[in-house]
Amino acid sequence: MMKTKTLQDTLQFAQMVAGKHGWVLHPDKEFLDILVEGLTTNYNRYGYFSCPCRDADGIREKDKDIICPCEYCAPDIQEYGSCYCGLYNDPLFIKNGGYPESIPERRQFKNFI
Amino acid sequence: MIENITFTYKDGLLSPGDITVYALSTCGHCKRALKFLDDNSVKYKFVYVDLLPSEEKNNIKDYLAKKSNMYVAFPFLVIDDTTFFTGFIEEEWRRLLKME
Repeated sequence: MMKTKTLQDTLQFAQMVAGKHGWVLHPDKEFLDILVEGLTTNYNRYGYFSCPCRDADGIREKDKDIICPCEYCAPDIQEYGSCYCGLYNDPLFIKNGGYPESIPERRQFKNFI
Repeated sequence: MIENITFTYKDGLLSPGDITVYALSTCGHCKRALKFLDDNSVKYKFVYVDLLPSEEKNNIKDYLAKKSNMYVAFPFLVIDDTTFFTGFIEEEWRRLLKME
C-alpha cells in the first residue's frame, strides 16, 4: 500500500528543494498553501509529486518531466524569475517585488516535436 | 461543443459573453483566476478537469486544442467559444473580459 504524504511532508520537501537550489518559495502564504495542498493531492493521487499546475497523465513515465522540481524549473526561474506553478522563485526576483504569474508553458515545445 | 460536461455555474453582475474556465483543482493560478472572477462579480462557468474521468478529460483537451489551435494549459479561458487564453495574467483577463 502506498504511503501517503501530509501537507507538512510536502512543505518540508519543497523547502528542502528550494534550499538545495538557492530558490525561495512563493511569498504569498495563501497561494503557497494552495500549491502545497495541490502537490500533496497529486502525490496521494499518482504516487509522485506531479506539478500542481499541469494536467498529469497518471503514468510516471509520461509525467516524469513534470515531477517536482520539474525539468523546466531551472530555465523558467532563470528566464521569468519563477517556475511554472510559482512554487520556486529566484530570491532576487521576490526581493525586488516580483509576484509569480502564469508563464509560457515550456513543455508544449517538447511535446510538439 | 462537448456534451454532458458537469460545469459549476457562478452568477454575477458582469456578463461580458459566455465565459468558461477549464481549471485544475490543484493549481494556484487556476484558483486565483476563479477568485478574480468571483471578486469582480463576473458570470461564468468552470470545471476542474483533473476531477473528471480521464477519457472525458482527454476529450475536452482534444476539443479545446482543435478549436483554439493552441496548446491546452490551465487555467484555459474561453469566451463565446471563439476567444481563448491560457494562464492567468490579471491584466490580460481584464482586457479580454472588457473590464477596463
